[in-house]
Amino acid sequence: MKILIVDDFSTMRRIIKNLLRDLGFNNTTEADDGLTALPILQAGGIDFLVTDWNMPGMQGIDLLKAVRADENLASMPVLMVTAETKREQIITAAQAGVNGYIVKPFTAATLKEKIDKIFERIDAQ
Amino acid sequence: MDSSQKAQQLKAARALVIALEADEEKQAQIQLGILAQSQESDLFHQVGKLTRELHEALSNFNIDSRLIDLAETEIPNTRERLNYVITTTEEAAHKTLGFIDKSIPLTSKLKHITDEFDSSWHRFRMEQHSTDEFSAFEKDIESYLPEVKQHSDQIHNNLSEMMLAQGFQDLTGQVISQVISLVEEVESNLVRLVQVSSQHLEHKQKDSKPVDPIKAEGPQINAENKPNVVSNQDDVDDLLSSLGF
Repeated sequence: MKILIVDDFSTMRRIIKNLLRDLGFNNTTEADDGLTALPILQAGGIDFLVTDWNMPGMQGIDLLKAVRADENLASMPVLMVTAETKREQIITAAQAGVNGYIVKPFTAATLKEKIDKIFERIDAQ
Repeated sequence: MDSSQKAQQLKAARALVIALEADEEKQAQIQLGILAQSQESDLFHQVGKLTRELHEALSNFNIDSRLIDLAETEIPNTRERLNYVITTTEEAAHKTLGFIDKSIPLTSKLKHITDEFDSSWHRFRMEQHSTDEFSAFEKDIESYLPEVKQHSDQIHNNLSEMMLAQGFQDLTGQVISQVISLVEEVESNLVRLVQVSSQHLEHKQKDSKPVDPIKAEGPQINAENKPNVVSNQDDVDDLLSSLGF
């Protein structure tokens, strides 16, 4: 299971990376916005995407839409971890096909819970 | 002064000199009158021009609604944003320091346990234990091992919490970036204001920006006062489940 972590802040990437390692996901890679993330995703080998929303270049919501529009990536689970808390934004992310939405600041337990839920759903399919 | 006005003044001045030389007092008075009148009209013209300039400068000042918006809304918002930065960094620092405070005694306890075992283990290796001592050693190991595990787990948990607390850098970084953009905007508006007050500029009122409801805004300040903003993860989960998520 290889996970791509996308956030423009290196501290947040490091936090998510460490928390994922604690949850047993040791294989992670990083990108600092949608524009750098997309080629990594398109190159293949990524199983799960964790992305921020507010980033320069390409924002997380646009990355999510690009992933869903790409036939090779469309089924990839996407977890959004963001400080964006407007209802319109959450609804838009849901409509764009996000698999989980975590608001910052978050806890390790929340991250675990949302990831577990995403994989439960995938396994049930 | 335009050229016809200048020619008229020169003509009057020459006629004045001729009249004075010829000692024609009446003619000299007439020419002086013409000169004075032309001077006055020039003055009125200048005052008129200044009045128009002032009027236009004031109009330009009034129509720059963005500048007013900046002063009335954005600057107070910035104050709130910077206060948010102070509060968030303070909370993160206290949280981190709190977990350090909780971890230090645990590492001391682990060191104490290790020291105890060290001497006992040394005597065991040297085969200096009596049977009673050996059975006491066994009991110590049995009681200490769960304690070591419990303390290690607790330290691991504390370290994870400290790591999470560092998320403040992302949140405050986003807010500070917004403040920098605002400062840049205020700066460019002030530069424009200076230009407008020193000379006429073609000035068009900026169209009000169309509102994008999902534009990324970073952490919400005063989220509890905004009805369209969720305040925690539970609200997010409720909203998503209401969408059948």
